[in-house]
Amino acid sequence: MKSWSSRSAALMMSVSLIALTACEEPKVDASIYESIGQCKSDPHNTADQCEGSFKEASSQHAAVAPKYSSAEDCQADFGQGKCEKAPYKTSSGGSVFMPLMMGYMMGSMMGGRGSMMSQPLYRSAQSPNSFRTAENQNVGSKTGGTKVARSAASRPSFKNSTRSRGGFGSSARRFGSAAT
Amino acid sequence: MQRISVTERPNLANIAAEHELEHIADQGITGWNESAYYQFTRRQIEEDLTGPVEEIENLCFEVVDRAVNNQEVLSRLGIAEPFWDYIAESWRNGEKNLYGRMDLSYHGEGPVKLLEYNADTPTALYETSVLQWEWLEQATELELIPRGCDQLNDVHESIVNVFPKLDIRTMSHFACNHNIEDDKGTLDYLEECAREAGLKTCSIAMKDIGLDDEGRFIDFDGQVINTLVKLYPWEWIMAEDFGPHIPSSGTQFIEPPWKAILSNKGLLPLLWGMFEGHPNLLPAFFEDDPAAAAFANAGSYVRKPMLSRQGENIKIVHEGKIIFQSDGPYGSDAHILQGFHPLPVLDCGYPLIGCWLVASKAVGLCIREDKTLVTGRDSRCIPHVILD
Repeated sequence: MKSWSSRSAALMMSVSLIALTACEEPKVDASIYESIGQCKSDPHNTADQCEGSFKEASSQHAAVAPKYSSAEDCQADFGQGKCEKAPYKTSSGGSVFMPLMMGYMMGSMMGGRGSMMSQPLYRSAQSPNSFRTAENQNVGSKTGGTKVARSAASRPSFKNSTRSRGGFGSSARRFGSAAT
Repeated sequence: MQRISVTERPNLANIAAEHELEHIADQGITGWNESAYYQFTRRQIEEDLTGPVEEIENLCFEVVDRAVNNQEVLSRLGIAEPFWDYIAESWRNGEKNLYGRMDLSYHGEGPVKLLEYNADTPTALYETSVLQWEWLEQATELELIPRGCDQLNDVHESIVNVFPKLDIRTMSHFACNHNIEDDKGTLDYLEECAREAGLKTCSIAMKDIGLDDEGRFIDFDGQVINTLVKLYPWEWIMAEDFGPHIPSSGTQFIEPPWKAILSNKGLLPLLWGMFEGHPNLLPAFFEDDPAAAAFANAGSYVRKPMLSRQGENIKIVHEGKIIFQSDGPYGSDAHILQGFHPLPVLDCGYPLIGCWLVASKAVGLCIREDKTLVTGRDSRCIPHVILD
């Protein structure tokens, strides 16, 4: 215990005011499409560009999509009927599941082709209107030309480990607050 | 110990907004009452409260030390066998604990009595360490309270000081059920303390924690969770689907696994069994213990589930009559019986003294008042001062 007057008032006052926000990242230009057709209908693109980027994105899909050891876990994250079997097996020989590719993102034509690789996009069950990268980064709901965080434009990683989720939290749904 | 009425600060709605707390016109800040304060003498704080609390903490450690080597005790506490070695190892390895709150019955004189120990997921932390402290400063400045009032409240500094000593290797993840505002608020505050201490942190909902192919817990980005600061009870995570993966996950948990022994009300009969007659303990028995039947026959006791929260499923029998009974979801679980030592009544309120321990040192006081003998969800924190 110490005398209250010796304690810094500023310290305590500041505590509640510190917001736990992430730093704003610089944004880069990108284009997002649900399908080749939508890409082609955008006058900024040529049919070749659309087909090339779609091919690039879909060829990465199986490697970079998040993996799950059960269809339920995958659907919990991405929604009913929004998952498929991945062309992999778990170490014990079980099936592996991944979300369906729901769109793709390509680099800005303005910024010069090759500045960004095309990559597959997904939609989560929680916010089905937005697109997410395979790294689970939200890139917004807008199709066509848009701006995305620079880190979202980097190449997604290969996901070899299967994931399951939702193994914690059931007691809270039953009992409510954990407070004692 | 006196309860003294006092004028509230004039701008409570603004204060609430500043702290992101709920404010209801005519009722004030939810869970908070500053229309009165409790005044203690320094002697009462040091001799009657912090001294005994730190002594009880040591008795608790003796209980843990015995329990981890005794399968009968662990199974009596309802801890599943796959966790016995895990808990024992966490104790033998000296995994450090962050905090806890002992709830005490105190009448201003005579020995304080331990009612229970919230050793795993204590809340009312922010009210204690920030709201109450700010009240002291402002109430002094506004001359609502006498000059020279002190407060037992080193909670914030203690938490900030202890975080770097918890052997956290990399980033720590802070997890709770995000749907419960109180839990999230408390955990956000802890996260702020950790950041103030220079730690890297991020927050995650318990339900979003994943498990990878190698049995490690991962966050939403697939990053391995090395340290999990959880506001989520051990008995829940041990029983949930991912529970069996905990011992081999490699994740460091705060609070550490051995706290599962202390956060269980089975602690109370274990304490009584080892230290019967200790002035700060009440008689307590496991309900299925033959001694419990004899104890109940004497007519006055409190029946509590071993694992319950916020005053739920508590029954008080006094002189053969049920004088209090609360509902809740824990009624079918194992129970204990404890001696009845009623809270004092001051101006129609029943004050429960919560003494905060940070790294096992008694560093803060939080008084919660309820309109009933059992402190529940509707209780309100009320500030305290020390003045001789």
